[in-house]
Amino acid sequence: MSSLGIKPVSNFARRSAKWVFNKLPSWELKNGKVLNGIKWAGQHISSPQNRLILGVTALMSQPFIDLHNRHVDDETKKVSAARTVAKIIAGTTTGFFVRYYSIKAVEAFTKKPDKAVKTLESLLFPKGIAHTTIKGMQQYKLALGTFLSLGVMLFTNFAIDAPLTKVLTNLFVKKVHEHERNKMMNNPVLLPNSSDSKTPDATNDIHRPKMDIFLNHNRKEAK
Amino acid sequence: MSKAKAVTSVLDSLYKAYHKDAGKMLIHTGTIGWVLSSAAQIAGIMMNDKIPKEQKMFLIPQEFMDACVNILSFYFVTRSFTSVANKLTKTGRWIPSNVKNHLIKNGFKDRIGKFDFNIFKDVKLTGSPKRSFELFYNGLGVVATTIGSVISCNFITPVLRNLYASHRQKTTLASINNPNPSLQNPQTPRDKARAAIHHTYMQAFMNRGNLKI
Repeated sequence: MSSLGIKPVSNFARRSAKWVFNKLPSWELKNGKVLNGIKWAGQHISSPQNRLILGVTALMSQPFIDLHNRHVDDETKKVSAARTVAKIIAGTTTGFFVRYYSIKAVEAFTKKPDKAVKTLESLLFPKGIAHTTIKGMQQYKLALGTFLSLGVMLFTNFAIDAPLTKVLTNLFVKKVHEHERNKMMNNPVLLPNSSDSKTPDATNDIHRPKMDIFLNHNRKEAK
Repeated sequence: MSKAKAVTSVLDSLYKAYHKDAGKMLIHTGTIGWVLSSAAQIAGIMMNDKIPKEQKMFLIPQEFMDACVNILSFYFVTRSFTSVANKLTKTGRWIPSNVKNHLIKNGFKDRIGKFDFNIFKDVKLTGSPKRSFELFYNGLGVVATTIGSVISCNFITPVLRNLYASHRQKTTLASINNPNPSLQNPQTPRDKARAAIHHTYMQAFMNRGNLKI
């Protein structure tokens, strides 16, 4: 192993990890809100809640990343941000409900085998495990439900996510254009060939691309 | 092995793997989720009869590249967060007060917080400290996984994808504005082949309409 250079690399990785570890601060948690919060998270946050958290934080971050992308023009920024919002809403809604109901479905079939329990109700119980605990079973149901939801989402991706994203994107892009049109109508300086404008040529040159986009969009809509 | 036994064996393995560690389950299912959704995207392109074969040759590798960015970013960033949290907990560097007191009483004072110390293996915890420590370990794993997945999915991946997509858009626009003469009027077989690929690329770019998100 040593001749292949694997052992020295592994030793180096271990020493590096140890060095980083020793730099991290110690933290003793007394029974308080933080400790209870961490324990609560372990018991109550699973894949549906995780998906919801991802979706909410995505709504707070991703559209702004798209809107501040310096490498593309204004129109692309707006359309990509609108599409991102649509994708997040569609993906999070479907993802949350599919995971939630898959876990619920699994719960119905994971009862402990017993005389009073029907065979079907214990179909997904891990029968080879000698001693299952209540908390262990809770985590097992969440895991099995999440795996099931992944299979279900292969279909819902096409059946729900994709069409919903398309509908929402069109709606948001339309809203953005309406907003821009109203903004231009309310501000005569932004309109081309405006007699109120003090420097009409310069203003028109600056806003010509925006007006062109707006006019092109209206032409497409009219068709 | 019969089908029933195979199913039972899979269910037992699932229980063993995830009954204590919710964070690990979130990472594994999250990664599989990314793999499946990327595979679905690629399969969608492959099975779409409206897309010409030449365009598929371009679109499939592009989707594959997107998938690699998504999957690798999610797995490595999220996994790092969870691993660090787990290591800090297992060694007692981050520890609930009652568990620390229990360890001190049992003669582990000097080992708490040391890199090679593993509370699960080196200490036989029982009763209340055991419950408390397991809940803390599981909870911190979930919190770390959630933070890691938020950072990877909502910050790192969108920035990387935007950089990649805008680079593609720039190169394509440059190629529209400054067409290569050898591709406009190909003479040699090599130029003809390059022109065909270029044409496919341009068509695919035009059909996409806006940036890939």
